[in-house]
Amino acid sequence: MIEFQNVSYTHSKGYGVNNLSMSIEDGGFTFLIGPTGSGKTTLMRLIYFDLFPNSGIVKVNGLSSETINRKTIAMARRNIGMVFQDYKLLSDRNLYENIALPLHVLGFPIRDISSRVDEAIELVGLEGKENHFPDELSGGEQQRASLARAIIKEPDVILADEPTGNLDPVASFELVRLLETIHETGTTILMASHNYNLIKGRGRPIFELKNGILRVR
Amino acid sequence: MDKFFYLIIEGIKNTLRHKITAFTAIFSLFISLYIIGVIIIAGDNTHKILQYLRSKYKIEVFFKENITNEEAIGLIHKIKKIKGIKNATIIEKADAVRIFNDQFGENIIDLLGYNPLPASTVINVDRNVRESIKIEPIIREIRAIKEVDEIRYQGNLINKIERNYTKLVNYLPYFSGSIIIIIGLIIYSMIKISIYSRRETIKSLELIGATRMFIKLPFIFEGIFICFISVALVFPSLFITTKGINYLISNFTSFSIKANFDPYIFIWLLVLVLLISIIASFRATSSFLK
Repeated sequence: MIEFQNVSYTHSKGYGVNNLSMSIEDGGFTFLIGPTGSGKTTLMRLIYFDLFPNSGIVKVNGLSSETINRKTIAMARRNIGMVFQDYKLLSDRNLYENIALPLHVLGFPIRDISSRVDEAIELVGLEGKENHFPDELSGGEQQRASLARAIIKEPDVILADEPTGNLDPVASFELVRLLETIHETGTTILMASHNYNLIKGRGRPIFELKNGILRVR
Repeated sequence: MDKFFYLIIEGIKNTLRHKITAFTAIFSLFISLYIIGVIIIAGDNTHKILQYLRSKYKIEVFFKENITNEEAIGLIHKIKKIKGIKNATIIEKADAVRIFNDQFGENIIDLLGYNPLPASTVINVDRNVRESIKIEPIIREIRAIKEVDEIRYQGNLINKIERNYTKLVNYLPYFSGSIIIIIGLIIYSMIKISIYSRRETIKSLELIGATRMFIKLPFIFEGIFICFISVALVFPSLFITTKGINYLISNFTSFSIKANFDPYIFIWLLVLVLLISIIASFRATSSFLK
């Protein structure tokens, strides 16, 4: 469960989130929309404890921003899969190595890693691209690789921060479909986007952020 | 265990992934370590060079004309007891005639009808001392012997050599220390820059949930791997340099000295560079971790 209790965070340049309260139940699929600079990324960063609120409390899977420490942040992130607009794939590693990375972090035995990576690659439809480096893949392929990296550790939560921001409409649609498929396995998903047309009519809750203030649409 | 091996392999793979960075690092380390190695070898052989020069120090003492060979031997025993003298060789009156004959081609007895040359002794100073040799006190003590007529020695040259040796002994540790610190800082900065260029990787690893140690270890192993390569290249280079210097000395100079190459230099260089590398990798990665 993700819970915000009167959370405010202001960046040095002034923007952020303001007295924000919300909760996302386990297994939910929630969209977060808002224009650029509305605070979507700030909200995401607060969830994966990359930022800490100036006031209020953020709770994720039972861990609170008030009590979490450096070591437990790493542990908390192991239960969160992240997908970014700029993919954040490691450019010096091939697709296979990028996707396998979270399993090495978790200390999986080498013999189990290969089969899991193959499954993830198959799920996102990137078979045959295992040895390709990120710059040899299209934007859509890179984002699907990023998604495969996020899901391979079977996290409780997936945070997708503008995952379709650099994709064409077809690739964007496919990615949302993929996220819905993953959600069917019980994973909690929060996806931020500024493209309302992409997320409307899907029967999912939509939170709208504007100037750091949240409202349910 | 799988995780630990993975981190070691990642460290080695990182070197291969970033070939230009690795090559630059290895090249810089090679140059730096080569300079340090040459300084260590030079320091190690300074005493040897000095010993060679000291072996050339000679004090010639001429006794008064009326001193017989037997009396000269007694005086030499007395001289040998002076602190700083290693040995003394007698040149008897007859030997002096022979030397005169060898040098001037004339027999002085035939010329004058008697032997005017005195008995003398050639003294070698004790060269196996770390501190500089003070020749003047030795001369003063010899001069105090009333049977001594004349003393010949290369006072200025000996003083000059000993003065320069003292300077070298006094300043070499500071000079070497400064060079090692500067080179240490170069290695440190180079590793920091190399890690700085991969700060995005560090950030991505953090977001995946990697612990600080998981992020740091491949960089540390990479540093260690690069250090091993650099030292492995430097060691034979220093060995060849020493051989080359010895070849030049023996073939193109009249000095009979041989530079010594201490194989333990490998361990010294490795320990030094590993220490700097581990500290630099550890600190540099820490600065990019929140």
